[in-house]
Amino acid sequence: MVVSTPTQPAPSRGRTRYRGSEVAWGYAFVLPAIGLFAVMGVYTIVYGFSLSFASWNGFAPEWRWVGLRNYADLLWASPQYAPLVHQAALNTMWVMIAVPVLTVLVSFPLAVLLNSVRRLKTVLRSVYFLPHVTSGIAVYFAWVYVLQPDGAINLLLRSLGLGSLQQPQGFLGNPTTALPTLIVITVWTSVPVAMLLYLASLQAVDPSLVEAARVDGASVWQVTRRIVWPLLRPITAIVVLLALRDSLQGFQTFLVMTNGGPGNHTNVLGLQTYRLAFLSQLSPTLGLSSALGWLLFVAAVILAAVNMRVLRRLT
Amino acid sequence: MSRLSTVLVRVTVGALLALYAAISLYPFLWMVSAAFKDQFEVAAGGHLIPRHPTLRTLTETWNELNFFDYFLNSLKVTGLTVLLVLVIYSAAGYAFSVLHFPGRRALYRLFLALLFVPGVTVLLPIVLLENRLGLLGGHWGLILPFVNGTAPLSILLMTNAFSVIPSELREAARVDGAGELRIFATIYLPLSRPVLITIAVLTAIPTWNEYLLTRVSLNDPEAYTLPIALYDLQSSAVQHYNVLMAGALIVVVPVILLFVAAQRYFVNGLIGAVKA
Repeated sequence: MVVSTPTQPAPSRGRTRYRGSEVAWGYAFVLPAIGLFAVMGVYTIVYGFSLSFASWNGFAPEWRWVGLRNYADLLWASPQYAPLVHQAALNTMWVMIAVPVLTVLVSFPLAVLLNSVRRLKTVLRSVYFLPHVTSGIAVYFAWVYVLQPDGAINLLLRSLGLGSLQQPQGFLGNPTTALPTLIVITVWTSVPVAMLLYLASLQAVDPSLVEAARVDGASVWQVTRRIVWPLLRPITAIVVLLALRDSLQGFQTFLVMTNGGPGNHTNVLGLQTYRLAFLSQLSPTLGLSSALGWLLFVAAVILAAVNMRVLRRLT
Repeated sequence: MSRLSTVLVRVTVGALLALYAAISLYPFLWMVSAAFKDQFEVAAGGHLIPRHPTLRTLTETWNELNFFDYFLNSLKVTGLTVLLVLVIYSAAGYAFSVLHFPGRRALYRLFLALLFVPGVTVLLPIVLLENRLGLLGGHWGLILPFVNGTAPLSILLMTNAFSVIPSELREAARVDGAGELRIFATIYLPLSRPVLITIAVLTAIPTWNEYLLTRVSLNDPEAYTLPIALYDLQSSAVQHYNVLMAGALIVVVPVILLFVAAQRYFVNGLIGAVKA
């Protein structure tokens, strides 16, 4: 997400003489936000960061300081954790490639089509939006239900004469189909916002531009390809970068639907962090989890920096 | 273009739009279908429309499996989170956009920078901290981090909304002797009603669905919110998909109703948040 400071009414700073009462009110108004942030934000960030240099199982009375060992263990040193992280990184990479591409491929045409109709536009937009507002455990369970071995998807494939595509172990039980299936569901939940962003910008495209091209004999396809698509490039950049960020950090779908399985075929970095923190019983993995969390943070910052650059070039 | 091909294009466009509507609704259709089946029919699988539709699964889930209590817990957590977000961050937004005090810009940037900290990175420290403060396991242990988590977006939206209110209004009120609290409450807040509703909806929906922190915080079934109750249902020994889908339906219906009612605000808020 790109962040810009809003238009500030303060013309000169530093040189301004502050009014005493206004300064007091200013601090009074931000105090609740700062107070909450001091406890829930600053403390947790500092605490989590120091924990990434220690070894602890959550119950022992003392941390054991290990310096950068956690980071080394995760990246290459530990024969137990490094392979897990490598596989999770590989899976995350597939998600980060597939989700943005598929999201654009579905949401852009969908928005163009939706923009071209007059009736039912609002109703359809709401329907398309349901996957986003309901995204959470309830809907993921519904997907698990339709994807199970004797579930609705296998049934649908059979009735369409595509029986050969059925998955007797269920789509989530088969190691080769589990990750692609989760990718499709992630795309399903990320299409609504992307579609909405495209739709909003399509409505802002100057109609005379399109009309002029049509008068010159350009087909709808040509207009879309040569005029609309290039005009909407900044939106595409935003859509891609939002999808990248969600693919890097999000893991709820994975936790609920497969918990990384079968084997570790659907383990991703966010999920690995979560497992090291909460699902490894008495092993001293809390420091490792923190370290992995901070590696994710670094990746997120790099993504954000690239994000800003790309957007600046496009706009 | 000839008449026929225009019709053909229209039909194709309509068919494609309908197809994606079906894809969007697909899991919900089966969720509703299963929730109205009894356990034998759901085990037999097959058809979407129940042959012997029954309300019993839903009523039993609601009454005997205590989903009514979980519903109330969810309502409490979501309601208090929204209320606190509105109070705390509208005040902060007022300070950031209207009042002049040293450190204003730095604080504002600090809050926005938090957008980049992944949730999973701070999840563990939050749990450890709450354990130490004795907040873990209670509803406040969920509400406070949820509120703090919305800080960047809420502050951004509030500050932007207040910045466009003409400062002459404030000056005039000051001349009339109104203090900051009164100006804030009687001028700025009422003028920003759409943004307040937007923030309320953008906060309420993810809070209602929240599952990650909830799962590692709550132990006592009395305190369960709907998502964690649903999770519990799934991990219990006997798994009946009709009961699970009835529970899922109870989770999603309030969100869908809220979304339909406040759609305009939701959509504008999302676009504003991304474009800002």
